Amino acid sequence: MRAMLAIARNTLREALRDRVLYLFLGFAVLMLVSSKIFGLLTVGDEGKVIKDLGLAGVQFFSMLIAVMMSVLLVSREVDGRTVYNILAKPVRRWQFLLGKYLGLLATVALNLTLMALVLVTMVRLYSGEWDMGLLFASAMILLEMALVTAFATLFAVLTRPMLGTVFTLAVYIIGHVAENIWLLTQQITVGVTKPIVAAIYYLLPNLERFNFKTEVVHDLSIPHAEIGVTVVYGLAYTALVLVLACVRFSHKDLT
Amino acid sequence: MSNVALRVDDLKKTFDPGLMKAKVEVLKGLSFEVQRGIIFGFLGPNGAGKTTTIKAIAGLIWPDAGSIEICGLPHTDEAAKRRIGFMAENPYFYPYLTGREFLEFHAELLALASDVVSSRVSQALEKVSMSDHADRLMRTYSKGMLQRMSLAQALLGEPELLILDEPMSGLDPLGRRDVRDIILGEKERGTTVFFSSHIIPDVETICDRVAIVADGRVQAVGEVRDLVAQEVEAYEVAFVGTAPSTLNTPVLAGHTGSDASWVRVAAGHRDQLIRELVDDGVRIVGLSPVRSSLEEFLMVHYQGGAS
Repeated sequence: MRAMLAIARNTLREALRDRVLYLFLGFAVLMLVSSKIFGLLTVGDEGKVIKDLGLAGVQFFSMLIAVMMSVLLVSREVDGRTVYNILAKPVRRWQFLLGKYLGLLATVALNLTLMALVLVTMVRLYSGEWDMGLLFASAMILLEMALVTAFATLFAVLTRPMLGTVFTLAVYIIGHVAENIWLLTQQITVGVTKPIVAAIYYLLPNLERFNFKTEVVHDLSIPHAEIGVTVVYGLAYTALVLVLACVRFSHKDLT
Repeated sequence: MSNVALRVDDLKKTFDPGLMKAKVEVLKGLSFEVQRGIIFGFLGPNGAGKTTTIKAIAGLIWPDAGSIEICGLPHTDEAAKRRIGFMAENPYFYPYLTGREFLEFHAELLALASDVVSSRVSQALEKVSMSDHADRLMRTYSKGMLQRMSLAQALLGEPELLILDEPMSGLDPLGRRDVRDIILGEKERGTTVFFSSHIIPDVETICDRVAIVADGRVQAVGEVRDLVAQEVEAYEVAFVGTAPSTLNTPVLAGHTGSDASWVRVAAGHRDQLIRELVDDGVRIVGLSPVRSSLEEFLMVHYQGGAS
């Protein structure tokens, strides 16, 4: 456990010293500039526009960190062979991989928290309300990023960094159109195509499940059961992907 | 307690580079033992299987067959891993850490008690003469300094068995001397040292035993002195006075001094020369074997392994 936390801390330190937090600064500047512009262009609903735009920004910047950093930092350890001195010590391979994952997730979470706080502050400045729903929507984005980071970790041990990044981006994009795949299964009525497409739908993550932007921006109520199912879905899917990554990494020859 | 620090038995490993490419059989039944408290050299040409063997011992690759024991324990056991200190070939490092942070990180991986981390890190820095540079970022270190830090992380856990892959590679003579002194110092403390190298004089001067690996197998193992002695190529016979003007024995070389002379003959002609000199009434005063250097000895085995 201690080794795993040491690896997580070291990963977070690496990300921070690599100036990943500059992305957060980029977000803050973007929010300031865009809120000024939209404040001028929209009539009446600046708050909603800022919330919508802000949550989309939080999601986009978090995805950037999750995809880019995850693949890069895991494969940097393997390709850079710093992992040799680690795994020759009493550290299990799954401990190493989970340590890296936790460090990456902590990096994503730190950025996301700072971005969410900027967003909440901006909304307070423009509409005078403290909208805690934004923090809830951000927490759901973090859950989505936990899953995306797990996929990035899996691809980092399966393939080269460039391919890993492409595959993770592909999962992210497909994950957001998963409901269209479901609709496609409803359209197909004959042949073996229907079960194949259905299998693809069930295998790939449905990342739209974590999207509560509309509900938060328009103050719609969200059933507790839906939140519960989403949390369980996110955690279970993440755990499954991490188990696959650990199993693969445990059998891998580090040549 | 077992007297064997490291036992490698019938190790086999084949790498599969992928579709349409031939498999590469790197280890073909490699076996050897390292007794406790000695410095053991692991010599071989590029592609012989040295690094693959070391990686298998460190748990970085999985052998297809065979077994590895560290101090009597399977090498994958956590208890076995606690007993080794490993230094990989070429210094790999985190550029964003200082030397001290790097060692503190490795101390945590070893699960050292928090109250001893600071003193262990200081001791390790002291051992590799890096105390004055400990708070600099590692990206500013020279290759020699990185090599020392890599050695320091291997020493942190006060291991029973130190496994070093080419510890002197790329170092200048001064750096090599320092690493050699550290290795000898560890032996003094009772640590077993297993290291691979291609720098033969370093192996000759500090190793108690040597294994020569070529073509995925151990070709010879023993004390450096013995290995070389097995390969006596010629003899030099010293005698009083000058050499007889006509010697029937084929002579490889010779020298005549004012009082004494010597001639060198092939090992197979030693007895013939002695008989001839005795028959001529020459007073023989010395007979010494001409041993091949370790380098020549290695070449014989490398070529033998490759053929």
